[in-house]
Amino acid sequence: MTPAIKQFVTLVGKDLRIEARSRQTLGLVCVLGVLILVVLGLGLGRETVRSGAASTAALWVAYLFGGVLTFEKTMAVERQDSALAGLLMAPVDRGVLYLAKLTSNLLLMAVLAVVVTLVGVLLLSFDLGAAPLGFIVIITLGMVGFASVGTLFAAAVSSTRLQGGLLALVIFPICLPLVIASTRMMVNLFETRVGEPASSLGGSGLAILIAFDAIYLVTSWLVFELLLEP
Amino acid sequence: MRLKSCRLTAGFWAITLAMFMAGVVMVFAYTPVEKTMGPVQKVFYLHLPVAINTFLACVVVFVASVGYLWKRTQAWDDLALAACKTAVLLCSVVLLTGMIWGRSAWGAWWTWSPRLTFSLLLWLLYVVYLVIRPAIESPQRRALVSAVYGLVAFLDVPLVYLSVKLMPQDIHPASIALEPQMKTTLLFWFLPVTLLNIGLIALGYAVQRKRTLIEQSRGKRSVHDTSTPLAGDAA
Repeated sequence: MTPAIKQFVTLVGKDLRIEARSRQTLGLVCVLGVLILVVLGLGLGRETVRSGAASTAALWVAYLFGGVLTFEKTMAVERQDSALAGLLMAPVDRGVLYLAKLTSNLLLMAVLAVVVTLVGVLLLSFDLGAAPLGFIVIITLGMVGFASVGTLFAAAVSSTRLQGGLLALVIFPICLPLVIASTRMMVNLFETRVGEPASSLGGSGLAILIAFDAIYLVTSWLVFELLLEP
Repeated sequence: MRLKSCRLTAGFWAITLAMFMAGVVMVFAYTPVEKTMGPVQKVFYLHLPVAINTFLACVVVFVASVGYLWKRTQAWDDLALAACKTAVLLCSVVLLTGMIWGRSAWGAWWTWSPRLTFSLLLWLLYVVYLVIRPAIESPQRRALVSAVYGLVAFLDVPLVYLSVKLMPQDIHPASIALEPQMKTTLLFWFLPVTLLNIGLIALGYAVQRKRTLIEQSRGKRSVHDTSTPLAGDAA
């Protein structure tokens, strides 16, 4: 195992251990996700919410807001008792710090996605069985892109006055291409049309998701070091 | 030197204003009225040049943001801020003229047509740049976060453009058949709008530069004021 991989595993392990001990983030984001689904379910009404378009949109809203809260909480832990200052003094490459934080966020978001999707299947009659593989591909690509931007700007925003609202304000406009491509693809997959078979993954939508992930993974990895400056 | 600069500035704005007036005269006296849309079609001569210039202002934000990250001099941040303000202003004009066109052509102020949606998303992307700045107290940190955001936002522009194409119902015309007089007028309008774009960025930069210099001198003075009594105490 190379030193960089060893450092990466140690950092991810540290984040997961903090979460396992405090259980601060997961409980909070999962409950928030379920609450969003309940509110949207009540607001949209029984018939509307059962359409593929409404249920996929509701799921994405829950993932996005849960995701923002995840980024805030995992970065807030680093600001407590100047833990980040200690981390920066360690002989660890800043790129490894970014990748470790991104992986921790992705793991927490994966748990959020599982919980929220299961609740969506139960409450919104979301037909996951129609295209499970396509769903997993879209969600995975979407969350990698979202977390890459979220992890970058969580580091930037965590030391400012307006921590909570500001992070959502910064991330959402940047992630709009991701949201448009993911929701369009999911609507194509899950919208029920009488007498028509389920559509396949759109090639251009998939290309946008992959391009988004590639651009922001590389850019965030390069500039993360700058945002960690005190 | 200062007098020469003032004369140059006044000359620049006089030329820009004269060109705008000439453009207006061309729109109403030289260009024929379009058959299906009538006089409302004339907003197009403003709409397209402003849309292109919005993108040019976004390019300036990107270049200035990269310049700040590379050189770490406050002047780059001032330029990025001035260009961003201009981009938001021009994008607002694009949205307004697009809505006027939409109301006349399709009977609704807003249609979720991909190109209109692209303008709205671009506007949101750069409005956020202006909104986040006051929330960051330290000038250095503010400039740094803004530069990173300016870089990331510009990389997002082609992705936004491609993603809105996935949206259904494109009723926005891809191209419009124009009479020769209409083409000449449209091409002419690029001149005053581009001059306005350059002028607004330059003016915004000059104002912001002065503000930054005043802030910096205040900061130095306050440090000096607090350090003097401490030195006296020690003595």
